[in-house]
Amino acid sequence: MKRYALTLLPLALGLALAVALQAGLAPNPILYARADAGTLLWLTGLAASLLWAGGLALWTLAARRAAEARTREQAASAEAHRRFVRRLDHELKNPLTAIRAGLANVAALPGDAALASVRAQVDRLARLTGDLRKLAELEAQPLEEEKVDLGELLGELAAAAEERPDAAERRLHLTLPQAPWPLPHVLGDRDLLFLALHNLLDNACKYSRPGDTVEIRAFEDGAWVAVEVADTGPGIAEEDLPHLGEELYRGRAPSGVEGSGLGLALVRAIIARHGGTVTIRSRLGRGTAVTLRFPVAR
Amino acid sequence: MDERKAECRILLVDDDQAITGHLAPFLERAGFAVAVAGDGEAALQRIAELTPDLVVLDVLMPRLDGREALRRLRRAGNWTPVILLTQVGAPVERALALEEGADDYLNKPFEPYELVARIRAVLRRSRAGAPSLAGARRLSSGALELDRQARRVLVAGQEMALTAKAVAVLEYLMLHPDEVLSRERLLDAVWGWDYPAATRAVDTRIAELRRVLHDAAEAPQYIETLIGQGYRFVGRVGAGT
Repeated sequence: MKRYALTLLPLALGLALAVALQAGLAPNPILYARADAGTLLWLTGLAASLLWAGGLALWTLAARRAAEARTREQAASAEAHRRFVRRLDHELKNPLTAIRAGLANVAALPGDAALASVRAQVDRLARLTGDLRKLAELEAQPLEEEKVDLGELLGELAAAAEERPDAAERRLHLTLPQAPWPLPHVLGDRDLLFLALHNLLDNACKYSRPGDTVEIRAFEDGAWVAVEVADTGPGIAEEDLPHLGEELYRGRAPSGVEGSGLGLALVRAIIARHGGTVTIRSRLGRGTAVTLRFPVAR
Repeated sequence: MDERKAECRILLVDDDQAITGHLAPFLERAGFAVAVAGDGEAALQRIAELTPDLVVLDVLMPRLDGREALRRLRRAGNWTPVILLTQVGAPVERALALEEGADDYLNKPFEPYELVARIRAVLRRSRAGAPSLAGARRLSSGALELDRQARRVLVAGQEMALTAKAVAVLEYLMLHPDEVLSRERLLDAVWGWDYPAATRAVDTRIAELRRVLHDAAEAPQYIETLIGQGYRFVGRVGAGT
């Protein structure tokens, strides 16, 4: 409202001068003006242009303010979310430590299934807190960047996957380009990239069935490198797709598969820190492909 | 053997009574005499009264936190071995914990058996009269020198180009000479990770250290591989300021 009050200033000034004239400040308060139509027209044009420019400037300013407020709001909500995750992690840790110590005090009979199950559940919760902490850390900490040989990393990843107990039942293929040249190096945190790719491969193996095919492939695409992990597993329902990567979201289709529900959220956070993107294509009953794209080190 | 263990007095410091309530009896069953304190100020007082052989110190506590309590203890010239129970996984925090003079640190929520193993390892070192490496600015072994503050590694005075992770792994190995460190433990200590599959990250850094330091895996001067168990720093480690 204040801003619009200012627009009345010229009117107030005019009125004040008119009153001053009427009071006899000037000897001859009558003014005769004559102008040719051309001058009148271009002066009117000038006035309209000035009005237009002023309005446009005001409007842009208002839009920019609104955008800034939105960014601030987003940053604040992201920060609030990080704080929440940190606190959750912190508040879970002490009780878990106490439960572990308590369990250690209970003299377990060998083969006590109930106690073994409680231990396993505590371990599961401990893993969850570990993932939560990692997620909170990822957004706050600087990356330990180095030149990463993606081809070598993917080779290690495939070797690690071959060691899985269920590996013999999957057909695992790793395809790396050799022509016209091998994969370029990327600038990134090697351990985090390994973790992200490992999570994807782990998902592909976990959710697929014996006899399914899992493929890892990578290619250069201009200033980007794309790494894809694809499987012929059960696929993901369309209504689940937009929620994948949300913390603790677990789709409906796979049952009996263990996981913290943070795996893909970690992948997204890691790739986002590297300035990259994650896209998922999936069809129920056909399979899933997750594609990571990140910038090449120059 | 048991008699000797019974002589070991441990001060357990944590403000969470659920933890001290379960952990104290567990440590007693493991053969230690245990006293408990609930915050940093009480801890400093109890350390003065009891002169314990080792202190297990939580970081986040009311009144005086563990980190500040440890700093005051060391400033007063008291080098009682301390194991910090950290809550923060950030590597920077870990480096800090070591620079403040902690002998070891453990992430919550830890396995109580792991705590007992750590306590025994730290006590073994201090019993053997080995110099405390906890507060050392520099660690050295033969021609190898690690400047903990500047995060630099020198061999015969020549600076070596190593990644920050590799320096942190070397630091942890050198701080625990003659101890077999499993890959999982190194991963937890240096990365703050608890992913069994990620232990390859440890192997990658060990390979980097061996390559840069020209340390042969078959006849190691510094880092030995124990197949199926982990890694061990075999060189003699000295402390410098």
